[in-house]
Amino acid sequence: MRTFLLVIGVALIAGSAAYAHHSYAATYDVTKEVKLEGKLVQFVLRNPHSFVHMEAPDEHGEVKRWAVEWAGTAQLGAQGVKRESLKVGDEITVTARPSRVPGEYRALMLSLRRPLDGFTWGTRAGEAVD
Amino acid sequence: MKKVLLAILAVTVFATMRGAAQPARPAIPPDLAGEWRLDNNEQDTTAQPPLGDYLGIPFNDAGRMRSDTTAESIWGTPEYQCRPHSAPHQWRGLGGARILKEQDPLTRNISVYHIQFMRSLDRPVFMDGRSHPPAYAPHTWTGFSTGEWVGNTLKITTTHLKDGYLKRGGPQTSDMLTMTEYLTRHDEILTIVTSVDDPIYMDEPYIESTTYTYDTTSTVATETCNASSFAENGGTDRHWVPHFLPGQNTALGEWLKGADWIPVEPTRGGVKTIYPEYRATLNGGTVKAAELKVPSSKSANDVAKRLAESSPRDGEVHILPTQGNIYMVIADGTNLAVSIGGDGIMLVDTGAAKMSEKILAGVGQLASAVMANPTANQCFGANCPGKWGWSSPYIGAVISAPAPARPLRYIINTSAASDRVGGNERIATTGFFPRGSQFGGAVENVGPRASVIAHEEVLNRMSAPAGKASPMPTASWPTDTYFDEFHKLPEYVNGEAVIVYHAPNATTDGDSFVFFRHSEVIAAGNLFSTVSYPVIEADKGGTIDGVIGGLNKILDIAVAEYRAQGGTWIIPGRGRLSDTADVAAYRNMLTMIRDRVKDLKKKGMTLAQVKAARPTLDFDGRYGATTGPWTTDMFIDAVYATVK
Repeated sequence: MRTFLLVIGVALIAGSAAYAHHSYAATYDVTKEVKLEGKLVQFVLRNPHSFVHMEAPDEHGEVKRWAVEWAGTAQLGAQGVKRESLKVGDEITVTARPSRVPGEYRALMLSLRRPLDGFTWGTRAGEAVD
Repeated sequence: MKKVLLAILAVTVFATMRGAAQPARPAIPPDLAGEWRLDNNEQDTTAQPPLGDYLGIPFNDAGRMRSDTTAESIWGTPEYQCRPHSAPHQWRGLGGARILKEQDPLTRNISVYHIQFMRSLDRPVFMDGRSHPPAYAPHTWTGFSTGEWVGNTLKITTTHLKDGYLKRGGPQTSDMLTMTEYLTRHDEILTIVTSVDDPIYMDEPYIESTTYTYDTTSTVATETCNASSFAENGGTDRHWVPHFLPGQNTALGEWLKGADWIPVEPTRGGVKTIYPEYRATLNGGTVKAAELKVPSSKSANDVAKRLAESSPRDGEVHILPTQGNIYMVIADGTNLAVSIGGDGIMLVDTGAAKMSEKILAGVGQLASAVMANPTANQCFGANCPGKWGWSSPYIGAVISAPAPARPLRYIINTSAASDRVGGNERIATTGFFPRGSQFGGAVENVGPRASVIAHEEVLNRMSAPAGKASPMPTASWPTDTYFDEFHKLPEYVNGEAVIVYHAPNATTDGDSFVFFRHSEVIAAGNLFSTVSYPVIEADKGGTIDGVIGGLNKILDIAVAEYRAQGGTWIIPGRGRLSDTADVAAYRNMLTMIRDRVKDLKKKGMTLAQVKAARPTLDFDGRYGATTGPWTTDMFIDAVYATVK
């Protein structure tokens, strides 16, 4: 089931985010969290940051193409994420910090889970976007 | 006696000249080369600077508004994904610094310092006394730097910077900034004092110091960037420009939650808040900040002068080699493009009528220099492979005048504006375009003249139905028009494809821009200017959406060379030679203004109310005008009238 959940809660500062070329705190609202459930449509493993593109409903239930910013290749590689780890068509669940800009379908990865085989990222120590 | 005086004078002049060419420097300048580790303990070097923290920044209202409304997601637009850190922030960016030195092989003086950061291009600092480029030369992320020794301190002066930011996540700078850095080495410590002078957004220069430590164990990696044209900001609109409408950015005060001991006023920046006198306003003080007199310094940057110099309206022709076959020709402030090669000359636009003779002279001289320049002998007689003849093929060039360059073949008009078509009549007659009799373009038998290509609406604007007086003489009309979304010239011109793209309802209903596909140059016409808001002629079909659409089309075609700069060069209708990032900055600015006016209009505001709301406040210092042929008021009139 694809659901969209917006949680306004206590800020969980997204780890040590010192290496981004842009400012995470300025790009994303770190006091909010969105849950996206849908289909992966593109996985771009690259520097300075990787992106997972997925089709998932927004708060109005309308399916949009979301760009979820993830870590760079070195960090993900060290954590076992490879190019073939995710495939187009995978049903995934993502939690993420939403963009501060109204109407923007961009988010910062907090966690990713693939229910089919239990693949997860974001639940172990160090699995936060640098 | 006179001879003695003259000799003394000559020696004095010579000595002065030598002094000017050789910056003063100590006998043994400190060695700045090596690996340097960032050693500041200030907050914004190691963490995310809070959004909306303008403490200590001498912002004016424009700087504050620009920073409040600019979204950090702008990094996600295709044109900015590989942008290096902005120059004013670069010393504070993590990853250390590497300073290399390049020597003159003859004198062994240091001719260039190279400064490198993890997120920068190589930044040369020229020590050889060269001058800065003209104001109409391109601006880059690292700018153009020259250095001189002042005692034991290296003073670096940087101009030609693109717009950017003071710190990540908010405080913005304009492309009118200049930066002066003072590098002083004390044993293992390197202190950099930076003065950022941006009169568009600040009331006085912003000064900060940063400390580095010499560290032989560190190394400055380069941050790779594999951006792509997909939109990092999600959705499916590759032209999406993230920004906040004025008042919409509610996150600016977030960082003050739980820190109510910090007064809000100085967090918004402002020159009055950064001097000790400001303390009189705190802790129950009755003095208002606005009433304070502070000993602020003034900007050394004359924006009006710099803008004038980037589009010199001096009645002369200036030429800037651009790329491949293409040269930018500035004719009394109007930019034209010219292609020169074996096929002849192609001119994009003809400037104002009064400039025709000077344009012809300048372009003719350029064509001779490029195509018919005498060449020094490079090989000899029978030993010269691949050449025919009794002796050196170059001997002809040495002993006789070279053959003249090929004539003007084509003119392309990017609109019917007078600065685009003014010289058509005179200049076209100097050209030659072979036409069989009974065949030809839109105008019957116009004689041995250049082909004049334009969108058909240009012809409609310049001509009139039979029996009515036309606004422009017949001899100035386009001879070959197109009506489709683009027009490919049917054959190569000077060895490359030339494609004319229509930008519907942009500044007028007949706008085009021209893409030279091998040279990688686009002549944008009046769609793009680095010195003013676009001149949108609403009564001739121009619209703000059309201008933005045209700029987006340019961005779809243009490609940066590396790290979001260079690559496809874009010649604006007026102003400096530009690249994709410059066009993106202009597009972003227009999109922000369009959205603001649209929002205000949607709320039911009249034109007068919209103007009173100052929707262009943060860009007026850069692009606006209160007098002259195209004022900010006229621009807002056009946006208000045409925004949907």
